[in-house]
Amino acid sequence: MRLADARALVPDLVTTPGEPQADHRLIETLANWCDRYTPWVAIDPLGGAIAEEGTEACSAGSFGGDAGLLLDVTGCAHLFGQGEAGERALLADLTERLARHDLTCRAAMADTAGAAWALARFAERQADLFCPPRGHREALASLPIEGLRLDAPIIETFLKLGLRRIGDLYPLPRAPLARRFGDQPLRRLDQALGTITEPIEPRRTPPAFRTRLAFVEPIGRPEDIAAATSRLLAALCRQFEQAGVGARRLEIALYRVDGSVDRTAIGTSRPNRDNPRLMKLFEEKLGELDPGFGVELMILAAPEVEAWSGTQDALPDSGAIAASLGEDGTIDLADRLALRLGAENVVRLLPRDSHLPERVQTTGAAAKPASAGAWKRVAEMKGARPTRLLQRPEPVDVMAHVPDDPPSVFHWRQHAHRIVRAEGPERVADEWWRPRPDGSRPPANIVPPYRDYYRVEDDDGGRFWLFRDGPYRMAANGRSTARWFLHGFCA
Amino acid sequence: MPVISPDASAPSAANDAAGPVAAALREKVRRLERAHSAQRAGQQAVPLGVPAIDALLPSGLLTGALHEVEAGPAPSGRVAAHDGAATAFAAHLLGRFGTLRPNGTLLWCRRPFSASDAPPYAAALAAWFDPARLLMVTVRRDEDLFWAMEEGLRCPGMAAVLGEFAHSYARERAADLTAGRRLSLAAEKSGVPALLLRGQPAPPQSVCMTRWRVASAATHSTPGLGDVGAPRWRIELRRNRFGAPSVTETPTWFLEWNDETHCLSMVPQAFHGSTRESDARALESRLVG
Repeated sequence: MRLADARALVPDLVTTPGEPQADHRLIETLANWCDRYTPWVAIDPLGGAIAEEGTEACSAGSFGGDAGLLLDVTGCAHLFGQGEAGERALLADLTERLARHDLTCRAAMADTAGAAWALARFAERQADLFCPPRGHREALASLPIEGLRLDAPIIETFLKLGLRRIGDLYPLPRAPLARRFGDQPLRRLDQALGTITEPIEPRRTPPAFRTRLAFVEPIGRPEDIAAATSRLLAALCRQFEQAGVGARRLEIALYRVDGSVDRTAIGTSRPNRDNPRLMKLFEEKLGELDPGFGVELMILAAPEVEAWSGTQDALPDSGAIAASLGEDGTIDLADRLALRLGAENVVRLLPRDSHLPERVQTTGAAAKPASAGAWKRVAEMKGARPTRLLQRPEPVDVMAHVPDDPPSVFHWRQHAHRIVRAEGPERVADEWWRPRPDGSRPPANIVPPYRDYYRVEDDDGGRFWLFRDGPYRMAANGRSTARWFLHGFCA
Repeated sequence: MPVISPDASAPSAANDAAGPVAAALREKVRRLERAHSAQRAGQQAVPLGVPAIDALLPSGLLTGALHEVEAGPAPSGRVAAHDGAATAFAAHLLGRFGTLRPNGTLLWCRRPFSASDAPPYAAALAAWFDPARLLMVTVRRDEDLFWAMEEGLRCPGMAAVLGEFAHSYARERAADLTAGRRLSLAAEKSGVPALLLRGQPAPPQSVCMTRWRVASAATHSTPGLGDVGAPRWRIELRRNRFGAPSVTETPTWFLEWNDETHCLSMVPQAFHGSTRESDARALESRLVG
């Protein structure tokens, strides 16, 4: 119906423009909020809010007609009570809490996502919203055919044929149905009845390790939050010990009373399940968390875990340096620094087999230094190297008496440097076996490009590392095409 | 030559009869003069390897103190084009400090320049210490640099901590002083040496134990070749807590780094720049090498 028609019918109609983006934000927030029940939350692509449970599924109601959430609550309902009572309690808790935020919703719980979806939208009585285990076949039978999540033309045809209820499809022979309508109706029916599985794709990967702590009274003081974190951490570390793993990343989420969620995470450079150490890392981060009007639930999860390597010195390739890392607190220091500065900013220097000077030095994780003496071998193989290497060689203007000689003067950053001593060239060929940045390979039949490196000293005693990019070649105007670059500063 | 006396606190015991007030005052003075406190005297020192310089220091550079290395102007007086020499000298100090804890970590904190960053190159630093021991930390703000250095100084497995400075920082003197004081306190407490490496001459006031100004100096070629000789530096000891008060002139030396024997040696000032002696020495070392 058009707006004008609607206005004609109801003159005092109140209208507001639709805001799909705001709706989307709200449903995102709600999905975050639903993490309190289960880590397995998905935004329903078809619309309609659903909570589901492997053998049971539950569907939470919708607003605006087509938004919805799917929750897989398998193994979560026992937190609210034993067996069926727990599931009922979860559903009641969900509905009541949403109502407290002034959100009208319909939530249904059933064995399958499809059944929960249908019940949340088409159940006539409040009591029908909870479908007891294995009762979904009967519950669905009386629901309209629209509850099967079918395309509109198929529904229209079904209605024309007088198939108004889902139950009407039960006795029909399957083969002719599939021949006439394609596989969608049968697939949807089977999904709703649980004959074939319907996976729910969670918004974020559910962590394997997770502990939660709910509070009777909302908490807000930093000390309380720290104490709660410590309790959660202790519980999680026990889980780690049983499973023989250590955390690489931990995430804590604060569920505030106003329905919003605040999260923060810590990372460690090697698997860790040492409660005090992890707590120390958390202490740095907890200050960033804003409890708002109060926190009613905290969840600590470990999205990244690694097999526990036992003692800390099990790094055979790194020799004595790595062996001493665990005890002397360097790893703890690296973790603390990485927490504040970012892991990519706390690194080790690793040697790499390469001829190109800028490729020789690379970086690696703080917990894995180069083996002792590896750098010494690199240094022995190469000629004299500068103490500082420019990340990007800077072009310089040079004057040279003889084309193949080192320059006599070079200009760099508006200064002329008159060269009094020079050493070289050291020829470094391009690595033809590596593809070029643009993906192409250099042709095999020509001389690969090379650089000629010179160590030079200017009249002020400053020592530089220059290179000429390729050989001298005369250009059409009689000038040379070779370019010179400054690449480093020598001791 | 003033050398730190381990028994600087000895007279206080003898004079205890003078009363508790005097003893308390003496204690207070001793705390003020950190450099000469008994606590300080118990700390280890690392000789630089050049007798003439070590004689000015209490048996070498003290661990548990803040030392500064700054890049000096070029001999012609203009601003040095780079701090390659200062970096090398700082690496030499790191290597010397590293000998006390052979497996300890060396923390190198730096704030890179955005446009043209020239990070230290490990293949060259390997001459002074094993770069595998380095833990490189990159920060965006000076406050983070100080924080990272302090965290490093408190770490028990640390052999030495070096902070590399952005040029701009030299302007904020007050903050510099406070941060420097914090660093030297942290260093004193843990016994881990702290080094500051500045790409430019720094403001004169500082709380450091020693401050070195390093500029690269002309080397000596093999006669007839015109090649670049062994690295030579002009080194000034700009500040020395143990220096004699009467010294008005900044002690200056020309040092040469020998890459084969891995040690520093002094180039007599009179000969630096002249040919015969140094050429003979260069030839000799080449023959030996």
